[in-house]
Amino acid sequence: MKKNILFTSLFVAILFFFNACKEKHAYKALIVTGQNNHNWQASSPILKQLLDQTKLFTTIIIETPAKGKDMSVFNPDFAKYDVVVLDYNGDAWTEKTRVAFVDYVKNGGGVVAYHAADNAFVNWKEYNEMIGLGGWDGRTEKDGPYVYFKDGKQICDSTPGRGGSHGARHEFTVQIRNTEHPITKGLPVKWLHAEDELYSQLRGPARNMEILATAYADTAKGGTGRDEPMLSIISYGKGRIFHTTLGHCGNGDKTFPALECAGFITTFQRGTEWAASGVVTQNIPVDFPNSAGTVQWAEYKPLSLDEIVSKIEKYDVSKSRKYLYDLQNRIRYAEGNAETLLSYEKLMVKILESNEATIDAKKFVLRELSWMGSDYCIPQLKKLESSADLKDEVKFALTRIQSIK
Amino acid sequence: MNSSRREFLKRSTSAAVGALILPQIIPSSALGLNGTTPPSDRIVMGSIGVGSQGTSNMNAFLKFKQVQYVAVCDVDTKHIQAAKEKVDSTYGNKNCRTYGDFREFLEKEKLDAVCLSLPDHWHSIIAVSCANKKLDIYGEKPLARSIREGQAISAAVHKNNIIWQTGSWQRSVENFHRGVELVRNGRIGKISHVEVGLPDGGRSIGTPPVIPVPEELNWEFWLGPALNVPYRGVSHWNWRWIQDYSGGQLTDWAGHHIDIAHWGLGFDGTGPVSIEGKGVYPREGIYNTAVEYDFNCVYKDGTTMRVANASRQKYGMGTIWYGDKGWLRVDRGDVIEASDPKILNEKISENEIQVYKSTNHQQNFLECIKSRKETITPVDTALRSISVGLLGEIAMLTGQKIQWNPEKQEIIDNKMASRLLSRPYRQPWVLPLI
Repeated sequence: MKKNILFTSLFVAILFFFNACKEKHAYKALIVTGQNNHNWQASSPILKQLLDQTKLFTTIIIETPAKGKDMSVFNPDFAKYDVVVLDYNGDAWTEKTRVAFVDYVKNGGGVVAYHAADNAFVNWKEYNEMIGLGGWDGRTEKDGPYVYFKDGKQICDSTPGRGGSHGARHEFTVQIRNTEHPITKGLPVKWLHAEDELYSQLRGPARNMEILATAYADTAKGGTGRDEPMLSIISYGKGRIFHTTLGHCGNGDKTFPALECAGFITTFQRGTEWAASGVVTQNIPVDFPNSAGTVQWAEYKPLSLDEIVSKIEKYDVSKSRKYLYDLQNRIRYAEGNAETLLSYEKLMVKILESNEATIDAKKFVLRELSWMGSDYCIPQLKKLESSADLKDEVKFALTRIQSIK
Repeated sequence: MNSSRREFLKRSTSAAVGALILPQIIPSSALGLNGTTPPSDRIVMGSIGVGSQGTSNMNAFLKFKQVQYVAVCDVDTKHIQAAKEKVDSTYGNKNCRTYGDFREFLEKEKLDAVCLSLPDHWHSIIAVSCANKKLDIYGEKPLARSIREGQAISAAVHKNNIIWQTGSWQRSVENFHRGVELVRNGRIGKISHVEVGLPDGGRSIGTPPVIPVPEELNWEFWLGPALNVPYRGVSHWNWRWIQDYSGGQLTDWAGHHIDIAHWGLGFDGTGPVSIEGKGVYPREGIYNTAVEYDFNCVYKDGTTMRVANASRQKYGMGTIWYGDKGWLRVDRGDVIEASDPKILNEKISENEIQVYKSTNHQQNFLECIKSRKETITPVDTALRSISVGLLGEIAMLTGQKIQWNPEKQEIIDNKMASRLLSRPYRQPWVLPLI
């Protein structure tokens, strides 16, 4: 099974490598996995997919030997990569591998510590300096202070006690603490994350670290009552580290809501690009979640416009309007570009013409056309003027469109 | 002489005539004995909209002895009942008249003034109707759901020469007044920038099922000029999260902290020349106003103002002016702070700018009814405050930078955005002629 994954991953990676050569900025990413108290067999291929679909990365997954086996064969040439993503929580690496990794980071290599990677290597000093904060694996006050937010301020708390805890899995709000950092710039400052473990009581050296986002660990869910760090960045030598505590992928789980969360995915993709390069060039998806609700992506990717349109027509928007919302946000993102708006207008007119589209979908479309409709939609609106179900909305749209010639 | 004042005197005269004919039924209060207000000084009032905000407004007016409440109007019979009970218990009688239709209320009642506490989509039609009846108006913020409707209200107020007070009550609270006076008198130097923090939006309630309209609610009338939608249990208060009726927290609070920002800048009579920013909207559910918003306004003299939800603002809620000598911040809860705390104790001398002072927002309105002077928040001030919120909303809905002519109150060279300056009404509703 594992061999199969590795083989397939390598094969796919090679294919992607050739494809990606055509791209201007292809970073090389290495995902290190193979041991974890989580379902790494599921998570690592997903992380790889997430990176590859940005078209910024060519990604290779490398598996360490299994727990208890000879680690000396695990000795990747880190220096060949722009970023190393750690989906690993297991046996210590050899001295040689550790030294190579530290050299790689010191010399400017990027690192992403994903979820339980911050559980690993309690006794490896340099590693803990890279991740800033860690949990479990016997971490206590000897490993550094707790770091969290209280009343909007960052607290370093040296109280003795265990490092690492989490309450029951639940949806929770992630709050951005630095809206100007390339990773978080442009994101809603609060967004509801899909069901996940809310890592708490992390402690560590926390040097050269900045917390970019926190989440309140509600005591009602077994949490600490503090705003715990969720996303952070650390500099180590010339290297950049992005640390995300999000993205639990449980053994035996059939679905992975935390990994499907568009908020997790986007921050992971942006954080990895930043770790690799120091900049972020990716756009924020039109359906990025916010404080109103979660957004999960089936198969870990956003819907294309064609997919959205095919769904809108047959969709009962009196129950859910998410596809219309995605179209509406594309309209906003068009920033008034006449050609793009006309293409959306044509789609909306198609919805008005459709026998399958619901009345509610058509009412939604008519409200939108009332401000951005051009001459193109007028004949269709006139046709619907006598429609018993739509006449008010049609009049609304026509009146508004014709109010400004 | 103002015609409202004329009616007032007319009524006083007939009361006096009545006194001659039927002296035995005149209560001592009518003669102004025992510290009560004689009828000639009384202000006869009624309320349209007596839900949550309408009730607190009415309760505030009922505390004034010169006010005599005679009628209330609402589309919810439970609201009407509760309001009538409050008025009747205040006066120890059963005289408060009740209406479910504001047109009948305006036709039958002879009032001096009216208090309007309505969902935004109803503001324009009812405010203009009241102005046309020459009633002085205490009207809730924001002035209107659209800029064109706000302009119509302004025109009706001026044409009919009535007194208008907006429910932007922060202007009558000491710390806001003090902050504005310090800023206006240059205590933090020349102002180049203002930051305004307003509340974050909330979590989606999804799309609740269609349910029967409760017996007490006239849903068709509640919707009025807005497009017809089935009843899903959302009407009172929570209308403010739905774009058909409101612009959400942004427009709900524009009449507070943006209003205060303008006051400090001395911009009550003008507006920005460009507005640009982004909003974040709920993906699901019937609530569809922005949960996050962040936009920048530039004024003619180069002054800039950023308006954003509190979580995006370093200092959260409130208004902060930045001048070349420092900053000053005001917020609810008597918050007033400055980069140089010493200025907070400085006196404003007689030679300096004296900013309009009111210590009670309702009382200011009542005083102005008598003096016929402008209130602390007249209609055009309210129009300029909400225009910032509404132009921000237009910039976010269209995803475009809006160029605005504050003199002509027109969007420049953008047909699509210009359409959002007005909202067509559902038949048979129309704005009354002014």
